[in-house]
Amino acid sequence: MNEQRRQILEMLSEGTINADEAERLIAALDRNDVVDSAAQPVAKGKIKYLRVVVDDRSDGEQTKVNVRVPIQLLRAGVRLASLVPQRSLDRANAELQRSGVGIDLTRLKPEQIEELIDHLDDMTIDVEDHDSTVHVFCE
Amino acid sequence: MMPLAIRVRVAGERGSRVRLWVPVLPVVLVLSPILIVVALVLVGACIAFRANPLRALCATWRLFAALRGLRVELHQGPTHVLVNIS
Repeated sequence: MNEQRRQILEMLSEGTINADEAERLIAALDRNDVVDSAAQPVAKGKIKYLRVVVDDRSDGEQTKVNVRVPIQLLRAGVRLASLVPQRSLDRANAELQRSGVGIDLTRLKPEQIEELIDHLDDMTIDVEDHDSTVHVFCE
Repeated sequence: MMPLAIRVRVAGERGSRVRLWVPVLPVVLVLSPILIVVALVLVGACIAFRANPLRALCATWRLFAALRGLRVELHQGPTHVLVNIS
């Protein structure tokens, strides 16, 4: 029995509420429990690969590219990138600013990028042209 | 776990075909003296740039180990290139 039910029963025994009110409160608690259990995030299947599939016929000749990149490789790349010294990041930032790209690389933390990778399974990118298609997804 | 084998397959325009199957561990053992030198250079570079050499070596090893499962396939007309690391 959880704490809220116990409090309702105590209120009933003290005469603060009557039996009908106690019944309504317990019913409301039951409804909340159902909603909470439905809102629990379902464990997602672990993605293993990032896939890039390109099909191009723009030159009159069919070109197919099929790339499968392990997600672990992305994670390892992020960890390697986190070793880049601060002064190199500052210089890269300056060059990016000069090129009109307003991205501050020093504010990108490895944990954030790893979180991004964790949510890649929701991502699907489909680009379709009359001659070519690009499909990026995770599996 | 480190990659076990690299498979390369190239089919050219005139029917030429190249098939390579490279076992990684024997190649790493054969190249180990060079790899030790490369590791020392990496440590030197880390010290020069004030990065942690141990972390850099670990990250490099992880990157190498994570290559397992990489597959790149290109098909254009009669040309077909496949690189598969397993």
